[in-house]
Amino acid sequence: MKWARLKSPWVLHFNSGACNACDIEVVALLTPRYDVERFGILLEPSPRHADILLTTGVVTRQCADRLKRIYEQMPEPKFVIAIGACACSGGVFEGNYNVIGGVDKVIPVDVYIPGCPPKPEAIIDGVVKLLKSIEGGKQSGKR
Amino acid sequence: MASADKILKALSDSLGKRIIQTRTLQPGKSYIQVQTGAHKDAVRIVLQEDNEAGVSAITGVDLGETIELMYHIRTCDTIITIGAEVPKKDAKIESITDIFPGANFHEREVSDLFGVTFEGHPNPKRLILPEDWPENVFPLRKEVSVANIPSKIGNFGVSKDEKHVSSEERLVNIVLGPQHPALIEPEKFSLRVDGEIVRGVEPRIGYVHRGIEKAAESRTYLQDIYLVERICGICNACHAACFCQTVEAIMGVSVPPRARYLRTIILELNRIHSHMLLLGHAGLEIGYETLFHYMWRDRELIMDIMEALTGNRVIASFITIGGVRRDLKEEDVPKIKAELTKLKERLSFYKNLFESDSTLKIRTRNVGVLSKQDALKLGVVGPVARGSGVNMDVRRDEPYAAYNEIPFNVITYDEGDSWARLMVRLDEVGESVNIIQYALDHLPTGPYRVRVPRTVPTGEAIGRVEAPRGELFYYVKSNGTAYPERVKVRTPTFANILSFVHIAEGGNVADVPASFVSLDPCFSCTDR
Repeated sequence: MKWARLKSPWVLHFNSGACNACDIEVVALLTPRYDVERFGILLEPSPRHADILLTTGVVTRQCADRLKRIYEQMPEPKFVIAIGACACSGGVFEGNYNVIGGVDKVIPVDVYIPGCPPKPEAIIDGVVKLLKSIEGGKQSGKR
Repeated sequence: MASADKILKALSDSLGKRIIQTRTLQPGKSYIQVQTGAHKDAVRIVLQEDNEAGVSAITGVDLGETIELMYHIRTCDTIITIGAEVPKKDAKIESITDIFPGANFHEREVSDLFGVTFEGHPNPKRLILPEDWPENVFPLRKEVSVANIPSKIGNFGVSKDEKHVSSEERLVNIVLGPQHPALIEPEKFSLRVDGEIVRGVEPRIGYVHRGIEKAAESRTYLQDIYLVERICGICNACHAACFCQTVEAIMGVSVPPRARYLRTIILELNRIHSHMLLLGHAGLEIGYETLFHYMWRDRELIMDIMEALTGNRVIASFITIGGVRRDLKEEDVPKIKAELTKLKERLSFYKNLFESDSTLKIRTRNVGVLSKQDALKLGVVGPVARGSGVNMDVRRDEPYAAYNEIPFNVITYDEGDSWARLMVRLDEVGESVNIIQYALDHLPTGPYRVRVPRTVPTGEAIGRVEAPRGELFYYVKSNGTAYPERVKVRTPTFANILSFVHIAEGGNVADVPASFVSLDPCFSCTDR
């Protein structure tokens, strides 16, 4: 099981209030120049099939409930990667009236990838770091 | 088409004493303040005088005791603004949706953010704020401070709008989103379906609403550039350009010629990358994944040019008030030209593909048809309007940056279907490549920015830019300090999204993705 998870982690992407910049870089990962599918990383449409949740963007009041629900629907063990300054800490939107803050205000986060937006190389690096720590025995939901 | 002067004369002839005052916001842009109640007649007169006119945006401004509503109407070559004030305590005004259906979302947004009731509105529901937002808190009113709004942390559950609505009779409700494989962004669409036929669509936006207009009031003009760029990561340079242009209009600053050309280059790079992103995405949605990968591979050429020019792949942070932040390095020019030539070769391949491929033909021809008449009625902008034969383009109608000096064609198609909208974008990529090549060949020498003071004199201005998705509209009001009094943003998708309801109705469920993607919706723009 662990071997399969390391060799082919299935990821789910959820945008909880991003400006699209991080999102298009996440999509760029799947396209020919970066092509993460060659490492077995597969974008999954359903939270019930996903091992890793890639979140982008600040969490808005309207999205918070949904983000929590998606996280709860994922099977254990599950991991969360916060992509971009907004997902890490709220970024430029911190303190706005419809904004709750970074993703870790709602669900536990395992890897933070800062940048506005981070380059695709940085996102790959973040995923690889997570995979290494899973190999070393990392449990989900704990920092 | 009527000229602005003729429309203004018609207004003063018919309304007479109901006009309180007329003034000029900035050269060529008039503001007519009318008595409350006369606003609808005023809008009607403008729409009658110019049959291609449409309401671009409705701006609310908190004046203390009253709320000022501005109806910005797009006419052939300028914006005419009709203003009316309503008392804050009893904020009610007659809806204009019956004379211009495209005002539907504009009025709902003002209603959410300022608490103005639009009497006679067909569907006065929440649009942009969450369902569990506290009652009678209208965030853009000045007395509302962000610190006093109750926090939601630790109180996450199932929100009201997530509870499923029971289907009426034999119609089945299909809920798309907010998390759905076909949507990269979180928004919700409830489709009422009778067998395979869509009978109704109810969009629920606001999932990406971050309250940027309020945040802009508490940041300096310079900080606001970085904030408005992050309204949308895809067309970020357009937001920066539009904001800077509007502020420059208040300040009376003129930008050096080299900066105007460099702005044109980055704006067109933005357009190419956005259109190619969409054309690839369209391939994905209609089940043509190879097209998606091809497009996105070729799009990386543009990302490389953006990185060479601005230092960033996506968010450019290139345009600033008074010019641009970096100069183009002379040694990069041949490299950029070589990549553009490469892209142009690929474009002829795509053009041939879109015209002859049977998959694309079946999935997009005669799918999601929007007639010219409906396009005008709903006030759509950009490639959606041009795909329905409406010949409008802010770059030509009201030139900014260096567009008055660079030759280019405005692409229109008359079919009005999803295919036409995609073709408009494909042909525009070719035009954009030509514009950039021309700009590189004719790049003036000299400074690339002028220094401007931190404070902005009292005043107000309107700015328009042709973003990849259509007309982007900014209204900025300054109170003489380093912080703006009001920043209003009307993004192109906000104007276009109402047409989705129109084109999906009566069509097949399987055609929903194709017609949806052909509008190129961007919800981070829509919600702000």
